[in-house]
Amino acid sequence: MQVTEAFKHAFLKQMLLGFQASAVSTKSMGFQERKNAIKLSADVAMAVARGSRKWTRGLIAGLSEERQNRSFLRLILGEQYESLLKPCHSSWKIPRCKKIVRRSLRICWRKQKKNQSGVLARTLVEKRTQELKRLVPGGKSMDGSSLLDETLDYVLSLRAQVDLMQSLLTTFEASKLRSHSKRRLPERKASYVSK
Amino acid sequence: MSSRRPRSWQSSSASRITEEQINDLVSKLQAVLPEARIRRSDRVSAAKVLQETCNYIRSLHREVDDLSERLSELLASTESSSAQAAIIRSLLM
Repeated sequence: MQVTEAFKHAFLKQMLLGFQASAVSTKSMGFQERKNAIKLSADVAMAVARGSRKWTRGLIAGLSEERQNRSFLRLILGEQYESLLKPCHSSWKIPRCKKIVRRSLRICWRKQKKNQSGVLARTLVEKRTQELKRLVPGGKSMDGSSLLDETLDYVLSLRAQVDLMQSLLTTFEASKLRSHSKRRLPERKASYVSK
Repeated sequence: MSSRRPRSWQSSSASRITEEQINDLVSKLQAVLPEARIRRSDRVSAAKVLQETCNYIRSLHREVDDLSERLSELLASTESSSAQAAIIRSLLM
């Protein structure tokens, strides 16, 4: 996945629509309410800008599980909303396969006592995979190879979302500086990079 | 990681990730993770890369949360017209 100019434009445009739909500049809105509205706009903007992927459908489905989000989602997604909520075809397969995997895992442990490091590595991968399934939207109903594909795509989209929100913040701060030239706002450093 | 695969594993391929798929995605994910986390010259285990990916996703979620808070603070004291003007300006940049 490439973060194209088209993606950036679609994201920012969708953010603007989201801000308008939820009236984030209303003075009477509480801090938490405004923050949630912004976060919701940002997530929808990311999903819309990316287009149809398993994780984007999973994201919208997850967001619509909360009742207070539904009218907003219906408003800004329009017809797309209903089609985005259709369940994934492969989801019915997974409960059965989990049983098979668990059974073979048990057989493996008994047969492979000599080769414990191999089994341990596989179990660790399985454990990390389950963790990843919880983090990637719609991950629960994805099979192994889809999960890894969607993860890569999701990570790149998340990074773009962070970058675009940061640039939005910078733009707002700059325009405030222009109108209130006395006030200085603090610089924000990227917090992720650690040693 | 052992390359031997007992027959009982092969029947459950639907939710199990094969080693080839892992190796392919390990290199792609490594390229995407921040440099500070995993040295690219080392051959790292799939489990390590998956773990670092989980950590990275969580950290990106925290960043989005933090940025939402900062935007919230800023928009609280901004006129809606100038907020929209700022976004349109970013769109045109």
